Amino acid sequence: MKHPPDSATWRRSGRLIRAAAIVAALAWSLVPIYWMLATSLKTEIEATRLDPTLWPHAPTLANYRGLFGGSLPFLSFFTNTVITCLVTAVVAVVLATPAAYALSRARFRLRAAFGYSILVFRMLPLVVLLAPLYLLLLNVHLLDSYAGLIVGFTTFGLPFAVWMLKSFIDALPPEIEEAARIDGYPRWQILLKVVAPLIVPGLLTTGTFVFMEAWNNLIYPLTFVTTLEKQTLPAALVLTFTGQFKTDWGGMMAAAAITTLPLMIAFFAVQRSMVRGLTSGAVAGA
Amino acid sequence: MASISLRNVEKRYDDVPVLRDCNLDIRDREFVVLVGPSGSGKTTLLRIIAGLEHVSAGELRFDDVRVNEVDVGDRDIAMVFQNYGLYPHMSVYDNMAFGLRRRKLAAREIDRRVRSTAAMLDIEPFLNRRPRQLSGGQRQRVALGRAIVRDPAVFLLDEPLSNLDAHLRVQMRAEILRVHRAVTATAVYVTHDQVEALTMGDRIAVMNAGRIHQVGTPDELYDFPVDRFVASFIGTPAMGFIECRIARSQARTELAAEGTRIRVGEAHANVLLRSDSRDVTVGIRPERLALASLDEGQTSDVAIRGRVEAVEMLGSEQYVHVVVDGGAVTARVPRSQRVRAEDNVTLKADAQDVHLFERATGLALR
Repeated sequence: MKHPPDSATWRRSGRLIRAAAIVAALAWSLVPIYWMLATSLKTEIEATRLDPTLWPHAPTLANYRGLFGGSLPFLSFFTNTVITCLVTAVVAVVLATPAAYALSRARFRLRAAFGYSILVFRMLPLVVLLAPLYLLLLNVHLLDSYAGLIVGFTTFGLPFAVWMLKSFIDALPPEIEEAARIDGYPRWQILLKVVAPLIVPGLLTTGTFVFMEAWNNLIYPLTFVTTLEKQTLPAALVLTFTGQFKTDWGGMMAAAAITTLPLMIAFFAVQRSMVRGLTSGAVAGA
Repeated sequence: MASISLRNVEKRYDDVPVLRDCNLDIRDREFVVLVGPSGSGKTTLLRIIAGLEHVSAGELRFDDVRVNEVDVGDRDIAMVFQNYGLYPHMSVYDNMAFGLRRRKLAAREIDRRVRSTAAMLDIEPFLNRRPRQLSGGQRQRVALGRAIVRDPAVFLLDEPLSNLDAHLRVQMRAEILRVHRAVTATAVYVTHDQVEALTMGDRIAVMNAGRIHQVGTPDELYDFPVDRFVASFIGTPAMGFIECRIARSQARTELAAEGTRIRVGEAHANVLLRSDSRDVTVGIRPERLALASLDEGQTSDVAIRGRVEAVEMLGSEQYVHVVVDGGAVTARVPRSQRVRAEDNVTLKADAQDVHLFERATGLALR
């Protein structure tokens, strides 16, 4: 007599399928990162073999040493990126906080329209803004400068920062601010002394997000910066490691690893509150 | 130290009226309670007094000075919020000192005031703690302290006890009254709990659907409600109502429904003579009704026969809910009297314990 598969069997196979799906998804996202790290530790000969090795057989830091000791101003690329992205993050958060506060709390005509128009700006593909921004920076003589890059990065980071901070401010109980109004404080002082301290996680998360976006931006530095020494890491990677006749895979992967590392650290530092920031307001009590 | 006066105050949100024609005079140092069911507009009215909301029409005066346009921070008020509204990132001390610092008081004076207020409310041991490290009752005290440390002219409280458990609520009621006596502020207190209103208010404003139905002392509201809403809202268990016909004869005026017969007293008879309606709603409070034998029912001024729907045991006494033709009443009776659901009973009362309301408008007839 035949038995239908019992529920324990079903459960076991369900778990297996789920595990397989998780492994596949992890592999999909982690293998490129592993390949980057592995290649960066290989010798040039091993990195360019036609039958690639799974792991570096003779691990070496030569590629990393080469980056900083070689002819390329790699350290400049690194500092260029860190400075422009950090300043962008700070500027975006400082500008976005009052805007987010107004959008969250003030009651004015066209408030919704105003909020959405900020968001629409965000929907535009980066490239669309490229030409107008280029002309703008050209006219104010900010091409090929930190300031120009920061302006470019900020235009793109600001709308998102406003909306993300708005969701953090929306989550604050309004009574706290009303108490401060009754205590006699004007709006801007309430923002500084009550609201800002309460959304510190939001400020950090938003700043990190803008920082990561600026860091990942390739097309703006490629367009706005003409001197190689003033270039950012991602752009420099493209400009220097891919040649017409020869590609230094090991060096490129080492550079890529150094480009990725700060981002990964930043992400893991704030990932908890970032997820909350992206989803807050989605459900009651969140 | 301030009297507050509301003149024809209206409030609309996008053309939806939430307050209509509200008039209220609050005397200096008085403790006035705004009470009503949720959605009655009582919190909106309080927020208008605070300056957190603007009136759509009408006038608000503090000490006979129009304050419609005066900003919240300049009204010399303090407020206690339902969810406390403490500054979570500040210590208890700083929560209380925050408003004083804005007023540019000397650090020593701030310290003196914070410490004496903390002593009054028994929160001295917590001065260095953050609000989240405190229990609900302690937070409530801090919220009170933050309000009174400023020595405001007007003290506004929005359902301050609704987040506390029953025991603590009774304790804090007394505490708030003690604090109010100690300071010289006029207090306006919002609650949906009519027991809280009766026990705390010098005077009470009963609100419903954006209107103030009646303003009066607890006694006035209880003994002379102006309409059916106030009559049913004030008092637990609520007043019972029966729809009756008016039967006039030469000898006397009687009110009757199937199973109900009421011989009204002289005063009520005159009121009914003046009114031209043929129907009237009779209201009787539970403590005025008693179980009666059939014989007593014959002789009593008020006799009501009906079926017991439910009996609520309260330890010392019991509430008997009786369905009668044309309405329902509740009687508060001693536990010694055995009554069960589905029993048919007769209730009696005195003629002067009856409240009369116009059936169409619900207004009291007197």
